[in-house]
Amino acid sequence: MKTPAGPDLKKMLQELSELNRKLIKGASTLMEVDDIDVGTAPKELIYEEDKLKLYHYRPEGKVTCSVPVLVVYALVNRQYMLDLQPDRSIVRNLLQHGIDLYLIDWGYPTKADMYLTLDDYITGYLDNCVDFVRRKTGSGKINLMGICQGGTFSAMYAALYPEKVKNLVTLVAPFDFSTNDGLLFSWAKHMDADALVDTYRVIPGDFLNAGFLMLMPFTLNIRKYVDMLDVMEDREKLLNFLRMEKWIFDSPGQAGECLRQFIKDCYQGNKLVKGELKIGGRTVDLRNITMPLLNIYAAADHLVPPAATKPLNDLVGTSDKTLYEFKGGHIGVFVGSKSQKELAPALSQWLHERAGDEAVKEKPRKQRNPGHIREDG
Amino acid sequence: MEKVTDFFDTWLKSQEKFVENWTEAAKKAQDAFLNLAGTGEGTSDAAGYGFFTPYNSWCRAVAHALREAGGSSVDTLKDTLAKTFSSSNAYMKVYDLWLPFVKAFQERISDPAYYRELIDPAKYKEIIDGLFGLNAPEAVSRSFDQAVKLAQTISTSARGFLEPWAGAMQEGMKMAPQMAEGRPESFMNIFHAMFNAFDSTFGRVFHVPAVGKDREKIELLLRGLDDMSVYLAKNTEHQHMMYVTGLTAMEKVIEAITRKIREGEELKDFDEFFGLWIDVNEKAFYALFKTEEFAKLQGELLDSSLDVRRHFFKLMELYLYDFPVALRSEMDDLYKTIYDLKKKVKSLEKELRERSAGEVVA
Repeated sequence: MKTPAGPDLKKMLQELSELNRKLIKGASTLMEVDDIDVGTAPKELIYEEDKLKLYHYRPEGKVTCSVPVLVVYALVNRQYMLDLQPDRSIVRNLLQHGIDLYLIDWGYPTKADMYLTLDDYITGYLDNCVDFVRRKTGSGKINLMGICQGGTFSAMYAALYPEKVKNLVTLVAPFDFSTNDGLLFSWAKHMDADALVDTYRVIPGDFLNAGFLMLMPFTLNIRKYVDMLDVMEDREKLLNFLRMEKWIFDSPGQAGECLRQFIKDCYQGNKLVKGELKIGGRTVDLRNITMPLLNIYAAADHLVPPAATKPLNDLVGTSDKTLYEFKGGHIGVFVGSKSQKELAPALSQWLHERAGDEAVKEKPRKQRNPGHIREDG
Repeated sequence: MEKVTDFFDTWLKSQEKFVENWTEAAKKAQDAFLNLAGTGEGTSDAAGYGFFTPYNSWCRAVAHALREAGGSSVDTLKDTLAKTFSSSNAYMKVYDLWLPFVKAFQERISDPAYYRELIDPAKYKEIIDGLFGLNAPEAVSRSFDQAVKLAQTISTSARGFLEPWAGAMQEGMKMAPQMAEGRPESFMNIFHAMFNAFDSTFGRVFHVPAVGKDREKIELLLRGLDDMSVYLAKNTEHQHMMYVTGLTAMEKVIEAITRKIREGEELKDFDEFFGLWIDVNEKAFYALFKTEEFAKLQGELLDSSLDVRRHFFKLMELYLYDFPVALRSEMDDLYKTIYDLKKKVKSLEKELRERSAGEVVA
């Protein structure tokens, strides 16, 4: 006689009953949450321009790296991913390592920003922030640290203004868009950027999010929430989950003209790598990147695959270039335990080693242009 | 998979019925319209009643989740709760799908064909629909309904013409979601035939009276509806691709299960089945999404949806033109002017700052 295989009915009923119990209890815990705090490292607003805000993080102890670091985040999603919660904060980690940290918050574009171009972001906003930090700190050159699309922007900027950049750090940033390793790269090639921008003007953040969720639809739309039921009763774990949820769905719209050029020239034309990209009438030549480069990629990145990131090191003009492999995914670079234990210290060490003698120290002077300044240097 | 075949046959039959209704309605519409054209009755210039509803439906259908970008904690909590319930619902639906398998597991049946018979494609479709937001035909149905009402408002005297068409639309569109798994290309043919006929009847009456803006509105409305038909056809093709992939994935799940049984292993509980189901589906859809064919179709689907939006925006402008409100194109002009002026001011400020800095150094 065969022994019955598989689950018995009693166990099945228990599973269902357990799911319902978790759901009810979890919903109750959710309703008790008042606030989801993110980006809590102390910082000061020091410069504003239109919707852009530039922050300076309050140092935690002595600043040991003489060259300030300006963090350039992507236009997609929000910069507080770098400081999601105190124990998962690359910002706090770098501050503890003596880095003087500045960060750009691009804000939430509205229809009024529909005409902002790539040129406005790179040679306008970004250049103004770089100049502001240079003036405030008296550094002739500063360190640029670009994240994801912000890394692409930083490389473009460094190629246009090498005289202002001491060291360039890029994290999980795309440069070579010819790859089809990532779904976004493959999909964007078939997207009519003109139709998209002419219709929306400012492309809703949720539109992009829908695309991101399609990358792993079953995991991101079902499994994640079913798994969450297991931690819902634990308030701290639930809050960790909610912080990430908040970040994922906190998606600013994209200024149409800028996105149009980014899709057409980068995703479709791959002009940055070909040396054909023009910003404000100037050609972006990556060979102008003659400052030290630290290019960090994530081995299991499903958003920006290594094939899109790694080629930068073969295209730049500097001989001091480092390719750093992070063993994890796109988000893990910022919040994973390896990020806190390994990446941040390595990054700090790299910056310290290259801060030395070339940093031109000037006496900080009073800022002009008071209309945009929140605090003098 | 006889059951699945039956399921598709049913879709196909309902689709044929739809075509029949549609053709009949088109004929009635043309007859009615030709009669109307003979009377030479004019049109009214009333406001765009009911326009915002199709617009809103459209947003939901196309972008799947066009909610207000906010980011406040309340939104996150609300959304998380909604998603948790929705995922639990999906979990339960997969559970529902698996229940018929349990007895087979217990009897150690290892023939994949037996399990295939147990798949309920309608239930499977519900899961895929919910996951990918593939309920567009219903939204489009509402949009058509509202567009018809809008056309009625434009031309009250055309009621006799529009009513049979509207009735057929409503009747036909009710069936649209059920036909999504039929032959996708037939949608294109149905809608094109319908709107070509419709357009040509309208075209005839345009030669009778000069109706100015009203004519422009109707033309735009027709263009919008025609664009929507293209979108619907693309959407159907897209959905079809998803369903086929989903069913193929289910086949693989069955293969994995029967292999386990043959190898003497056991499926401990539903969670194990759920995990397997998720993994296999994720892989299958990733493989689909990575194909050039899918990327191309997705691009076309997006383009067709954008065409519809653009036409509705234009139509909205025409309707609002006589009202004391700023139109989209007017705001665009204003934004451009402000953008140019700001850029000029910033450039001058920068120049001034650099000059001043130069003077300080000197």
